[in-house]
Amino acid sequence: MATATVQYSRARSTYAALRLSVLQFLADPQWLVPSMIAPVVFALVSFELFRGAGPYFLTYAILGAGMMSMWGQTLYGSGWATGMDREFGTLEPTIQAPTPYLYVVVGRVLWNVISGLIGGGIVYVVIVIVAGGPPAVPNPVGFALLFVFVMVTLASVGVIFAAFYVYTRYAGFIQNIGEFAFYIGTGCMFPVVLLPFVTNPVSLAFPPTWGLDALRYLSIPGYQGFGWGFWGDLAGAVATTVVYLSVAGLVFQRVERHVLEEGNLSEY
Amino acid sequence: MPNDSSAIETHGITRDFDSRKGFLFREVTHTEALKGIDLTVERGAIFGLLGPNGAGKTTLTKILSTLLLPTQGQAFVLGHDVVRDADWLRPRMGLVLGGERGLYTRISARENLRYFADLYGIPRTDRERRIDEVLARVDLEEAADRRVEEYSRGMKQKLHLARGILHRPQILFLDEPTIGLDPKSARETRKLVRSLVADGVTIFLTTHYMFEAEELCPKLAVLSKGRIVAQDTVANLRHLVGGDRTLDVEAYGFDDRELDSLRHLPGVSRFLTEEFGPVSRVTLRMRTDELRVDQVHAALPNHPELMVRERRTSMEDVYLDLVEEEAR
Repeated sequence: MATATVQYSRARSTYAALRLSVLQFLADPQWLVPSMIAPVVFALVSFELFRGAGPYFLTYAILGAGMMSMWGQTLYGSGWATGMDREFGTLEPTIQAPTPYLYVVVGRVLWNVISGLIGGGIVYVVIVIVAGGPPAVPNPVGFALLFVFVMVTLASVGVIFAAFYVYTRYAGFIQNIGEFAFYIGTGCMFPVVLLPFVTNPVSLAFPPTWGLDALRYLSIPGYQGFGWGFWGDLAGAVATTVVYLSVAGLVFQRVERHVLEEGNLSEY
Repeated sequence: MPNDSSAIETHGITRDFDSRKGFLFREVTHTEALKGIDLTVERGAIFGLLGPNGAGKTTLTKILSTLLLPTQGQAFVLGHDVVRDADWLRPRMGLVLGGERGLYTRISARENLRYFADLYGIPRTDRERRIDEVLARVDLEEAADRRVEEYSRGMKQKLHLARGILHRPQILFLDEPTIGLDPKSARETRKLVRSLVADGVTIFLTTHYMFEAEELCPKLAVLSKGRIVAQDTVANLRHLVGGDRTLDVEAYGFDDRELDSLRHLPGVSRFLTEEFGPVSRVTLRMRTDELRVDQVHAALPNHPELMVRERRTSMEDVYLDLVEEEAR
């Protein structure tokens, strides 16, 4: 066996992590519950609650329910997978591989975005069947494109969240405490403008807050969100997402340095 | 600067850990896991690191394999600093930590290897052939497409090994590679290790098993309580603890005069006493052939039950002597 020096590729490593996520998903049917079944249940409950509230309010309710589920899937799924790496003891060999761990996380986040979109698609189909027709959306193409982008905003936060799972084994515990605060704080459940004004700066630090508000502007005529309107929301979503993705590399570098200093990669 | 012929060189490596207990009232325990490790390993050889549990073997292995930063000191692997040049080193080194963990158990061995092959950038055109090759090498071909959760402990250990050599590393770190394996699998693993060395791979191996160290490692170090207590060839280590020949002398108790006469027999370089219930054992280590068994019998005429057994000094003797000496 001649020794060889190989050169990793970031894109290939990301694809490998995505593929591994798919394989693990297929190997364990329990993941159907949070990623595919829960969004449908949330959406059906919302549908029943707001059945008589008018076509756009129905869209609003379904959007909130669906986004809440997909938010969980996209944002927490990636961190959780890193937590599982700790538990399985696969974090050490993965960190020891030449590929920076960030690209593994990006691959997982991509899978979570895809599964979130599949979940969203299933919600849509179920609602169409139950309601006897598609929910009223003034600009379906724009809505679909923005929906995908909102998933990207979620993914950008998911990448940073995953770093905390590398940083400490207690990340899951902290995340569980903060989960519903994040749902509310980013406007998944209802518009952020309804929250006390002092909380707005914190909410606006998260890209999904901007993206979700933009999505509501686009899908609900007469919606009153942030004063800067749809384009302001969109610009804010793009800017904050770019910031999150730009700092992700640095965050992972720092986190990796920290765990190598602490020597806690095998703790779970 | 590291020596070009060295695969590993460390200078004064220390590693401290702080472990914390409690939620409101944090209790911090400080541990010095490594206390100034100086080590040199030649390229293309097997180097063994022996030591009891908690001696610091895994800590040192993790530092050398870039998974842990030293608190102080410098370590070079293949001539590169393990802290500064980790990115250069990682594709060139393999690490086998072993055990039940460290594998994706819900997928097959082949898929585990595909994933790591991609992370290591093994050329796509070569990937499947390389996976088949390592699976054959560890004798897992038939089970390659079974989920790892169905594997026995030994099969998982083999898969760890397969992953460790998949990218053809120049240096391989094996942390207790045969622990928990049945004798046949352990023997196959040792055979594999020897074949890797024949291929030019440098092996850094930690083990509890003295016979394994003796069988595989021309040079080894004994680590005890975070310090290297000896580092040399097996023959020189034997010499260090008193010689190649050992006589075990057993009887129902010896008085001081008898012990003194044994101690002063010709050629005795090391003298150890142990008690096993009513039985006392004196171990005599010798560098020369001048002392014969009948001389021991002659020195202890009042013990008809006396048993004297001559044997070659084992690595276990060497290890126990060195570790116990360090403990004292």
